[in-house]
Amino acid sequence: MGGTYILVGLGLTLILSIMSILQFAHGEIYMLGAFTVYFLCVMHGVNLYLAVFISMLSTAVIGLILERVLLRPLKGLFLSYVCATTGLSLMLQTGVVLAFSKSTKQLPSLWSGAFNVFGIMLSRERFVAIVIALILTLALYLFLKQTKYGLAMTASAQNREGALMQGINPNIMSAMVVAIGSGLAAVGGALGGSIFNLDPYMGGLAFMKGITLIVIGGLGSLPGAVVGGLILGISESLFSLFFGSQMGVVIPLLLVIAFLIFKQKGLFGHD
Amino acid sequence: MLLEIINLWVRYEGAEVLKGISCAVEEGTIVTFLGSNGAGKSTTLRAICGLKAPDSGEIWFNGERIDGNLPQNIIKQGIGHVLEGRALFPYMTVLENLKVGAFLQKDREQVDKNLEEIFANFPILKERQQQQARTLSGGEQQMLTIARALMGSPKLLLLDEPSLGLSPLMVRQIGKIVQDIHQRGVSVLLVEQNARLALGVAQRCYVFETGSVVLCGETKELMGNDQVRKAYLGL
Repeated sequence: MGGTYILVGLGLTLILSIMSILQFAHGEIYMLGAFTVYFLCVMHGVNLYLAVFISMLSTAVIGLILERVLLRPLKGLFLSYVCATTGLSLMLQTGVVLAFSKSTKQLPSLWSGAFNVFGIMLSRERFVAIVIALILTLALYLFLKQTKYGLAMTASAQNREGALMQGINPNIMSAMVVAIGSGLAAVGGALGGSIFNLDPYMGGLAFMKGITLIVIGGLGSLPGAVVGGLILGISESLFSLFFGSQMGVVIPLLLVIAFLIFKQKGLFGHD
Repeated sequence: MLLEIINLWVRYEGAEVLKGISCAVEEGTIVTFLGSNGAGKSTTLRAICGLKAPDSGEIWFNGERIDGNLPQNIIKQGIGHVLEGRALFPYMTVLENLKVGAFLQKDREQVDKNLEEIFANFPILKERQQQQARTLSGGEQQMLTIARALMGSPKLLLLDEPSLGLSPLMVRQIGKIVQDIHQRGVSVLLVEQNARLALGVAQRCYVFETGSVVLCGETKELMGNDQVRKAYLGL
């Protein structure tokens, strides 16, 4: 599961550090990505991997629209912004219920079967999920480090006014970051939906996992998001294994409380 | 005139910070704003580059009216702003900071040329190009901020308190840097608390007091003015 958490968390942390807002509908963007894949793959017979790719692009476009019509006009109006994004998440949930009904659905497996590594069975689809998540993270890292617009985005996250005074247009940065974050969340949704089930309310939990991961890894840090996602995924599976699945969900949250008390910046965070 | 400000008023939450100031920067000169804290010098710079929208008045740059424009469009016209407190990107390397400074440069060759020139003038930045900006000393950070602004090949450089918090030796070096920049054909608008530094390099000076310009003229004349000598040079 670590892989899907990473993909949700990356978008959240990028949006938060560049726009200083928490995207409350980000979990529903994740859900929307999963249902796009369901729509294409299960209902219309498109190849699963192609469907994931299309879902990533189309959800990124939805992110662009979202930024332009909702987030940008409400810039600086904190309360209106919280109401609007929370409302949007409810609207998206209801919309998906109307379009696909409430029942849980299943995506085909990314790669069925399991590896046998020295007697331990590792599911192949989880392996694929983590590999895809890491490839996308690496691509994002290269984009942020090597390209002009990537550097401008990093700069905007580190000093807003400093970036403005280099002639960087903050609106373009916001649009880019919401689009990229949404595209990544869509892939996360597809991976999650393939390993588990999908339903219109799957976004809520994913959003919470994303926040957890940011707290553990540190705000605005890509390595932090990756390590945070892995810690979260691994601790969940381990604790579920030893103490039952209920505790598997609770213990990472205890971890968050511990981080908030003893290490507010997270593992890799800066100021 | 490269920059002309006419009757500029700025209010922050009802308080009048600039009460109708007028001033100008001629092409190829260094102009300085003197005055105590809160006199409105930094606010004027912020209004020029669009960080604070003026309530009334006009700002002209290079023959075009720029007040009311967005910062990114004003910077595009050829203004570089070295903000007070440096405003670096602390977790990016020196080289990355400089690259971001060239964000608006379309011409790659010009970027390489600027970078080469900057490394020639600031060898310490070349040496530390792979270091994160936050690991530099105060003086080096100030050099990096100025160098970053120069990456955009500005016609006019706004410098807000470049000597703040620096050692006397470093302050002298900043003065030399400002003169170097000027010699390369960039006009400079320098806001300084350190009047000795400012009057030493500038050709023209405006004295600010509580949101108004109370005195202006050639620095040579002002140096002879008793009021200025007492208030700013401690003579």
